Amino acid sequence: VTGQRATLLGLVVLLGALAAYPLWGSGYGVRSMLQLFMWIALAGSWNIISGLTGYVSFGHVAFFGAGAYTTAILIVKASWSWPAAALAGGVVAVLLAVVIGYPCLRLKGPYFAIAMLGLNEVLRALVSYFEGLTGGGLGLSLPTLDATFDIYYAMGLIAVAVTALTYAIVTSRFGLRLMTIREDEVAAEAMGIDTFRHKLYAFLLSAVGAGIVGGLAARDQGYIEPISVFPLLTTITMIVMALFGGKGTVWGPVLGAAVLFVFQEVVWARFIYLHQLFFGAIIVAVVLLMPRGVLGLLQMKYRLPRTI
Amino acid sequence: VNVVVTPAMLGQVVVSGILAGALYAMVALGLALIFGVMRVINVAHGPLLMLGAYTTYFLWAHAGLNPYLSIPVSMAVLFALGMVLQRALVFRVIDAPELSSLLLTFGISIALVNLAQLAFTSDLRAIEFITGSWGMGPIALSKSRAIACVFAASITALAFLFLQKTRLGKAIRATSQSREVAMVCGIDVQRIHLITFGLASALAAAGGSLIAVMVAIQPEMGQIWTFKSFLVIVLGGAGNYPGALLGGMLLGLIEQLASLVLTTQLSEAVAYVLLVLVLLVRPTGLLGGRQT
Repeated sequence: VTGQRATLLGLVVLLGALAAYPLWGSGYGVRSMLQLFMWIALAGSWNIISGLTGYVSFGHVAFFGAGAYTTAILIVKASWSWPAAALAGGVVAVLLAVVIGYPCLRLKGPYFAIAMLGLNEVLRALVSYFEGLTGGGLGLSLPTLDATFDIYYAMGLIAVAVTALTYAIVTSRFGLRLMTIREDEVAAEAMGIDTFRHKLYAFLLSAVGAGIVGGLAARDQGYIEPISVFPLLTTITMIVMALFGGKGTVWGPVLGAAVLFVFQEVVWARFIYLHQLFFGAIIVAVVLLMPRGVLGLLQMKYRLPRTI
Repeated sequence: VNVVVTPAMLGQVVVSGILAGALYAMVALGLALIFGVMRVINVAHGPLLMLGAYTTYFLWAHAGLNPYLSIPVSMAVLFALGMVLQRALVFRVIDAPELSSLLLTFGISIALVNLAQLAFTSDLRAIEFITGSWGMGPIALSKSRAIACVFAASITALAFLFLQKTRLGKAIRATSQSREVAMVCGIDVQRIHLITFGLASALAAAGGSLIAVMVAIQPEMGQIWTFKSFLVIVLGGAGNYPGALLGGMLLGLIEQLASLVLTTQLSEAVAYVLLVLVLLVRPTGLLGGRQT
């Protein structure tokens, strides 16, 4: 119990420090932390569907992009305030997840994964088709607004919310059922779990965070275009972060995002053209050598609970 | 939106659909083979096709080799690469949960694309070997596509002949029906897996070689082929090899029909809508489940 209390205290101190950071941090520092929050939220979102149920989403950037476009359109065409528009981005991402999840998650097997793989192309096609609304290939420029600090807090809040949501799921019966589906779906069904509904709910929960993050990122960047909000690299990055840290755990995506983000800023910025090669190699290495990620290694060594 | 559809346009659609369909069927047969034998969906199937396309391009650009003559070369190169991938990486995840094999082949896929970008740059490259079309009354028959269709149909027929008639082909089908029983019958299952992966990669390579003569190629061209090949085997019924033929033809025809009434951008989304619809209505595919 004292250990738990110490952890909790440490968390509070850490969050307090992060909340105070913009008061003294440099512009570059705040911007970097904002990015890190974004990756924590995205990797955590991916983890909720793929880490907990074992259904791989190869197109999670679709929710990010859908959120970004919704937010941008609402701000530009309907003059919404950005927090409301970003929340609407989350709603649209959930609706999109229903449309994809309903047909694809009813079935066991690779259908969902490949459907998500193809989703990017479709959304990009749709964005360029509805030119009047989306600006097509030219993109959309948002009115200028200096809200870096506000977005810093909003992004931080989402990162915390996704992590807390994962904790709530993992420690609940709902989470237990998701993990049962991951380990053996037929057995889960035999035990009376409505597997389709559980997978779908997990998917919706994993879409909402990514959608809101997309909206915040759109406001932060002030300009969006199809290539900038639907890059395959974004999906790859969140997968790599969650895998590297440890999929199916609460802190894995946070750890993975933190380590790889720092590494990316310090080392990979110089080898940008090797990015995907590194990521591919990390995915292959993690799958073959340490399927439970870095956190899994730590858990084994220090006998920590396996899902937190 | 185009409203008036003349019989000639419809004929054109059917012809173009069949030409495209033969190619889809051949490439998808590779994906179906790996899925049937190992229960693995190889996400790197499209990028392997891309490597086949580059093999043909470079043999043409630097050695002046007739691109159609380079098909056996690109098939052989990718057969070897496929075996190496299987031997080094993929065999480790065959019995692992699906998530492992999907992620592993996804990792291989993005690494291959990045390597291709480094080695070949992202420039579009085209083989100007055969252009223009033959006229058949009101219907135009693109030369490169017609030749590609003939090659694809022949290679697919050879692959089926191999699977039906040879001992090795029978062993591959036996392994895909039941690995345990195949093992008991004295089939070296590891070797069958190696050959299957090689064969599947070679089929993808043949597709790449043929595509290279039709359109400009670039390193990211492959990804969409993984998706379309998967759609073809879903249409035909997963694990059902003849189903890949039907699925390929269907996809070709539906895409051409869609391009008749939709704009280019929207017809790109047709394959996707089709996948979602099939999964909703008839998830076991049009020919039904697993029969080999």
